[in-house]
Amino acid sequence: MAWAACATAGERLVIKGSDTIGAELIPPMREAYLAKGNDTTFEIAAEGSTTGITALMEGDDDSCHIAMSSRELSAIERLRAKINGVDIREVTIAYDGIAVVVNAKNPVSGLTRRQVEDIFSGDVADWHAVGGDAGAISIYTRNTSSGTYSGFKWLAMRKRDYAPSAQKMAGNQQVAAEVANNPNGIGYVGLPYAAGDGLKIVTIDGRAPSQETIRDGTYPYSRPLYLYTRGEPRGEPARFIEFVLGPDGQRVVSEHGFVPVAGVWRRAGVGGGHGG
Amino acid sequence: MAADRHSDGVPPEGVTGADRFRVALGGCPRRRVLRLTLDAWVRTFFGGSAMVTILVLGLIMVFLFREGAGFLPEHHRSLTLYRRTGQEFVDAIRAPLADHQALNRYLGRVRASEVEGLRAAGMGEPDVREAMAAFDEFAARFRGAGQLLRDFADEAGGMALATRNASQAGETVDFVRGATALRALLPQAGVVLREFRETVEAVCAAAPAPRCDGSRRPWARFREMVGRLGASVSGAHERAMAWDPDRRVPIGESLAAFFWGRRWVTNSEWHDRYGLLPLLGGSFCISVVAIAIAVPFSVAAAIFVSQFASAAERNIVKPAIEFIAAIPSIVLGFFGITVLGSGIQWLSQQPWMSWVPFFPVSERLNILTAGLMLALMASPTIFTLAEDALDRVPRAFAEGSLALGATRLQTVIRMVVPAALSGIVAAILLGFGRVVGETMVVLLVAGNRLEIPDITLGMGVLFQPAHTMTGIIAQELGEVPRGGLHYRALFMVGVTLFALVLAINYAAERVVRRFRPARH
Repeated sequence: MAWAACATAGERLVIKGSDTIGAELIPPMREAYLAKGNDTTFEIAAEGSTTGITALMEGDDDSCHIAMSSRELSAIERLRAKINGVDIREVTIAYDGIAVVVNAKNPVSGLTRRQVEDIFSGDVADWHAVGGDAGAISIYTRNTSSGTYSGFKWLAMRKRDYAPSAQKMAGNQQVAAEVANNPNGIGYVGLPYAAGDGLKIVTIDGRAPSQETIRDGTYPYSRPLYLYTRGEPRGEPARFIEFVLGPDGQRVVSEHGFVPVAGVWRRAGVGGGHGG
Repeated sequence: MAADRHSDGVPPEGVTGADRFRVALGGCPRRRVLRLTLDAWVRTFFGGSAMVTILVLGLIMVFLFREGAGFLPEHHRSLTLYRRTGQEFVDAIRAPLADHQALNRYLGRVRASEVEGLRAAGMGEPDVREAMAAFDEFAARFRGAGQLLRDFADEAGGMALATRNASQAGETVDFVRGATALRALLPQAGVVLREFRETVEAVCAAAPAPRCDGSRRPWARFREMVGRLGASVSGAHERAMAWDPDRRVPIGESLAAFFWGRRWVTNSEWHDRYGLLPLLGGSFCISVVAIAIAVPFSVAAAIFVSQFASAAERNIVKPAIEFIAAIPSIVLGFFGITVLGSGIQWLSQQPWMSWVPFFPVSERLNILTAGLMLALMASPTIFTLAEDALDRVPRAFAEGSLALGATRLQTVIRMVVPAALSGIVAAILLGFGRVVGETMVVLLVAGNRLEIPDITLGMGVLFQPAHTMTGIIAQELGEVPRGGLHYRALFMVGVTLFALVLAINYAAERVVRRFRPARH
């Protein structure tokens, strides 16, 4: 609110939603955008995909211009949009791989998809059962508002619920920090966070997440990152999205560990499966 | 001349004695604004402020209860849908899998005790691995025993889910047809459940014998749990048969499922559950740990400052403790993670600490870390209030005791502290209320695990992560659509928290009144 008061000169752009996009991708994007000579005041709230979509749907035109999301709209959200008469438009701006990480001291370096599902849903509770040293597995997940939280359930767990013993962390960074500190920890983070100290990326069915494997979809846990707007974007939001999809924007995408994509506008709900 | 006399402070004519007195005190003569004197205005202001506080409190209560009250019908609708779509039926079939999962976990403990025993017998690492091969094969077979039942439940679940999603999307749904299709699965479900039970029993009949004395008890416990699995399977079959999609869900069920619910699951693709017990359990455990640590220290410090300290000591100790209250809780949270949590973890991993049970701890964010941080935060409250209570004990008590020849220490312990006991108990209760309501620190430090703390572990519960009532509200309120079930469930948690803290404060008040020493 205090920011809004300052926004006297230039345009104002309110972006809310996914913290993967909002913390990793949008800030450098903003810098590049402003360096182009645009005079725009950005307001970025990166508190999880659901928050952005909710704000886009329930607010007015001024309270949220663009929602960031690391997952597609759910069936219920689509329905809500239909009831509210909101025409939500979607664009893919990049691909992101969800990396499964364990502590660097853990001898396990590869898991199958089945094992990952078993671990996160609580069917397997001891590292020994998946080829590691004996020890109770500590599961770190994101909190429920994160797009990664449901994205991972879709991609890796056949939509099953997490084990009750899973610990919910507020952000990628916290998951990385706890796994790096816990020899028995396992968690999942966006690819840019997976390179941290004390972490080890686990291969899934023998495939490691990389730009190539994520873009061509051979790495199983890859997902598109979306921006959503109310109706066809006009004015400042349209200019910004155009920039993001342009060569300069896509360069920022690849510089920050994400995988670039050429985006095309389409209406949410018209086809399109989940995952990449 | 007359003007000079006026400036000497002699009031002009027509001024009352009271005004003269006021002028002598440095005030000004009575002037009326809107027919009220300044005094009356000040009095109105004070009274008004008190009224505003009460009004705001009332508004908060009305708001909380209004938002929370909507939870009941909404939750009732959700539970009704859960029954009508047949998800209840599927969960009944699936129930033994939860026990199976618990058994799988327990096998991990059995294995650990076996390995420990073999190592203690002087066996080397490769030999241990070889010796455990039979066990591992058994464990894998045991884990696989649930596969058929799981696949079956998943398939039935898919049917129920299709009905639910269609209903939530606002389509007209033929519940009867869905229910008939699910009921048609009942004979198959019976077969699958029986097969599950027989497979588990067959696998367990071929279980390897305990390799060492230390693992005999875990093994016995495991077999006992397997025995209970049979009952769980037949119970599941009965519940599945008893499922009636048209039976009304009693409205009380809506409340009971909240207050006695053992799971809090949100954003689920299957069925959201709003059970308070994991949150209540977490809040309770953390608060008890915090109070158990804070009380001895802060009460002792209060006794020292009030009874023994010299003026110089008092001037150092008292402001120092009270300063803790001024540290922002987010800063304490950071300290809790990076210094305290990591410190405890590091300490527990040192070889010379391995004699302590439950060491090494793997999670640095746990009940103990949160409890320690909250103990620090509760100390100033308890200290200040306890010290006030001790100071309020009439000096005659202590003087009488000293005059009779008691030493200083005897006087304090036998006379002063008992006389101030009600105040000290009230201080502890208010500290408890402070701890229960604290949010930021627990959100950062408690580990946010939505499971009821396992008290059967004894002291091991200290090293488990937990979630709290305050933490869940802070973590989830920002994300939920206004007016939805999840939103209202969080308000219900808020109402419970409010009622709890109110009860604690009321208890503190009562304690003070009841045991106030007879004096005057």
